[in-house]
Amino acid sequence: MDKILAKKDFPRWLEALGAYDVYAPQLIDDVWNYELAADPKAVSLDYPQTAIPAKKIVFPQREFFFEFREADTDDYKLKELLPEGKPTVIFGVRACEGKAVTLTDLVFGGEIADDYYWKRRNAAVLVGLACASPPSTNCFCLSVNGSPHSKEGLDVLMTDLGDQYYVEILTDKGKKLVSEGGAIFHEAKPPDKKAAEKIHADSEKKLARELKNIKDVPAKLKGMFASPFWDDESMSCIRCGICTYLCPTCHCFDINDEVESQTPLAGRRVRTWDTCQFPDFTMHSSGHNPRPDKAARLRQRINHKFQYFVEVWQNYQCTGCGRCITLCPVGIDIIKVVEKVRDHAS
Amino acid sequence: MRANVYLPKLTKVISVKEEVGGVRSIKTFRTQFLDGGFTHKCGQCAMLSIFGKGESMISISSSPLVKDYLQFSILKMGRVTSAIHDLEVGSIIGIRGPYGNAFPIESWKGKNILFAGGGIGLAPIWSVLQTTLLLKKDYGDLTLIYGARTSPDIVFKEELADLKSKMTVHLSIDVAEPEWKEFVGFVAQNILDKKPSPVNTIAITCGPPIMIKTCIKALSEIGFKDDQIYTTVENKMKCGIGKCGRCNIGRHYVCKDGPVYSWAELRQLPQEY
Amino acid sequence: MVKHEDVRAEAKKLLESGKVKYIIAYELGADGWKANPVFIKKPEDVDKIIWGPTCFHNLVRFVVDEKRRKVQQKNPDTRPVGVMVKGCDSRAIVILLQEKFIERKDVHIIGVSCEKTGVIDERKLANKLKGRKAKNVEFGPDENFVVTTEEGTVDLPASEIMADRCLECIAHVPVITDVLFGEKTKRTVPHPFGSVEKIETLSSEDRWKFWSEQLEKCVRCYACRSVCPMCYCDECVADTITFAVSPDTTAEEKAQKIKWLDKSPVISENIFYHMVRAIHLAGRCIDCGECERACPVNIPLRMLNKKLEKEAKLLFGYDVGFDPEKPALISCFRDEDPEDFIR
Repeated sequence: MDKILAKKDFPRWLEALGAYDVYAPQLIDDVWNYELAADPKAVSLDYPQTAIPAKKIVFPQREFFFEFREADTDDYKLKELLPEGKPTVIFGVRACEGKAVTLTDLVFGGEIADDYYWKRRNAAVLVGLACASPPSTNCFCLSVNGSPHSKEGLDVLMTDLGDQYYVEILTDKGKKLVSEGGAIFHEAKPPDKKAAEKIHADSEKKLARELKNIKDVPAKLKGMFASPFWDDESMSCIRCGICTYLCPTCHCFDINDEVESQTPLAGRRVRTWDTCQFPDFTMHSSGHNPRPDKAARLRQRINHKFQYFVEVWQNYQCTGCGRCITLCPVGIDIIKVVEKVRDHAS
Repeated sequence: MRANVYLPKLTKVISVKEEVGGVRSIKTFRTQFLDGGFTHKCGQCAMLSIFGKGESMISISSSPLVKDYLQFSILKMGRVTSAIHDLEVGSIIGIRGPYGNAFPIESWKGKNILFAGGGIGLAPIWSVLQTTLLLKKDYGDLTLIYGARTSPDIVFKEELADLKSKMTVHLSIDVAEPEWKEFVGFVAQNILDKKPSPVNTIAITCGPPIMIKTCIKALSEIGFKDDQIYTTVENKMKCGIGKCGRCNIGRHYVCKDGPVYSWAELRQLPQEY
Repeated sequence: MVKHEDVRAEAKKLLESGKVKYIIAYELGADGWKANPVFIKKPEDVDKIIWGPTCFHNLVRFVVDEKRRKVQQKNPDTRPVGVMVKGCDSRAIVILLQEKFIERKDVHIIGVSCEKTGVIDERKLANKLKGRKAKNVEFGPDENFVVTTEEGTVDLPASEIMADRCLECIAHVPVITDVLFGEKTKRTVPHPFGSVEKIETLSSEDRWKFWSEQLEKCVRCYACRSVCPMCYCDECVADTITFAVSPDTTAEEKAQKIKWLDKSPVISENIFYHMVRAIHLAGRCIDCGECERACPVNIPLRMLNKKLEKEAKLLFGYDVGFDPEKPALISCFRDEDPEDFIR
């Protein structure tokens, strides 16, 4: 059932995927990001961590809801603008991003499902890449119920064995994707499986960072709502959107009408990413702001990830990718903050 | 096939009434769907779409027993509500909903209901008031304690005059005026003045945040338990379905798990609204 | 050589005497080698203070926060805050003084000279180390840095891993201080606008192509604006509702606010945002390079501002951020200012 793909044959797999939009990590101006792979031969899966996680493909930073157009006076025509749902494959997805997608699935699913998200999500095939060594110095997936070789959210899991990939097919979508490659895949043999398993087991020992013993953190946070702890921790926050925009699990968004013509009135209703860290996120029209200061907003971010989401979905809303730590311009460290919460005198 | 939840239904404005003029203007709108529509429960809200400007989540103040139209009373506050105030009879807007939870009026049958509202806060609880009036035999005594800053700021002026013949109505304004004969002071003070009995009574309060806080305090003082006091909360909203993350109070999304809360439930949540 | 102990001793003195409310300084981050801003409130915490090649942050940004905080308070503590500044950072204080955003007595300026070298650029260092992880970065004796990795130490010439702005630095010794650590070394910079001149050699079309490609990457996280000490406007062109709203602001006023920018991170909005921000910083940007460092997608933002700094110098003979008594660039003129654009 598991397959082997020689590294030299990897471009041939990509070449067979003409019917898909193929995304893979690419280095542009010293920054890795998932981009459309124009040239199969140029795609390499030897990369650390993207700045923007794979969520941007199933939940893009900007998408259209519908078009509105004034027909006659006081009559409107609305045209729904659902995504095409073109088959899409994303290569190189890290375990933390795969797990994060299962969390955004919870938010956008449920009784009232978000059609825009699901059109893209159902059309997307996530091909994971097991982390032989941590892609970032701030990885801590093991501490939040994840692992460097987790299969959650993925359709295929590839493990780099040196000159070949160990390919595990996890879902029907993954099966179809692999079958597109045809004969370039060979059956994996027991020694291959052992080699992959060894890489997986070893990878768990290499994580540089840990967030230990956080079982009681949700309850602790409940008692710390009014604490001046948040004023101290948020003092260096500059209230940008980096931690949340680049978080694989964050899903807050804004809806705005973008007008293209005044007479007749025409435009589109547009969804864009938004963040609880911007000062005006919760501001009412009246000017009243439930979260008027940085302390309240940092408290919201930590509480949402380590208390509220846990209460609703029994999962931390954090998969330990470390992006918020690496990219925060002032070094606010979520591991340190949660450790301080854990150790805070009750 | 279930309709796209973000797509509003086109709706026509069939009546516009100015309740309060001036800078803090309040208008009442009645709307009719062009095609299809939805039924709602007391306390639920709908997203009104003014194309090109945006959306605003407004409580549906008509009773669910009224099938011909939906009624909304809207305070002019910002960009979208200003655009709503410019609407005329015949204007087309979009409406999607109904959103949120409802007042558990079934479980209140046989009880007395006390409505305590201030300013525009009478609108979100108006649907309950109208429904219990229509089903009067199912409920006990109905009392309304309502106030506004000045007498011109009182909403539903004609309806309130009519209401006096059907239930107990105590009105108030914040500062004395020459023609005003009733209570002068805040709604919370009027509650303490009139001392409605908490026995077998449910109290529903709604108004500006400060009024809700003082009324809950006053009601508690005169013997209402936490689970006897209900309110409806507001927060800035965009999606209305608990996904965009904007309106949360703790683990609840006001648009989905609220806006109706008993004080017993609300005080369990972080006081961040 | 700037010694940690000397800076710490000064900090301790200031806190023990109660002369300052707290001190904005640098400390070692959780990763053990990069600095982070820290707020030292108690004398016993001064041992956290460090100074080194990873102290790239412009701490004057937090002086702005302090002013905002004071404005909210009924009876604010009017003592100054201590702030560690490099040369570039001190010029930010000059701008805030010129614009009367703060008063001189609001800050106790702890200047640190960059002596022979400036601070490093994290990405340049990562590229040089090729997968090895840095554990420590120190100033070397000459124009070099001593970098320790898991494989040992390596000497790297400053020109290879120093931040771009340090290569064009015109103020490596703070221009305004209450106390100064380090020597007032002399450093000459052959091409203070070298990076800008390189782009100016491109044709109009190539320049448009370059900037379009770069600004397409922008995700509008506003880190560039958030990290800049001079972006202190309560009402920013980029934010339609982060404007000063009071209970008295009428619905009409709110409804009539012009929405300059859509939230969508598309090229038209991105270019507009960055160009407007650059122009709003003309004569105010002191090239601390923080905007570029903070950008998660590595857009060479400081070049936009540097271009305008060059214009200020060439067209108006204006040196940005040196003399607090001088008026702001756009609030003064000379009779000999060029007029060839007036037709």
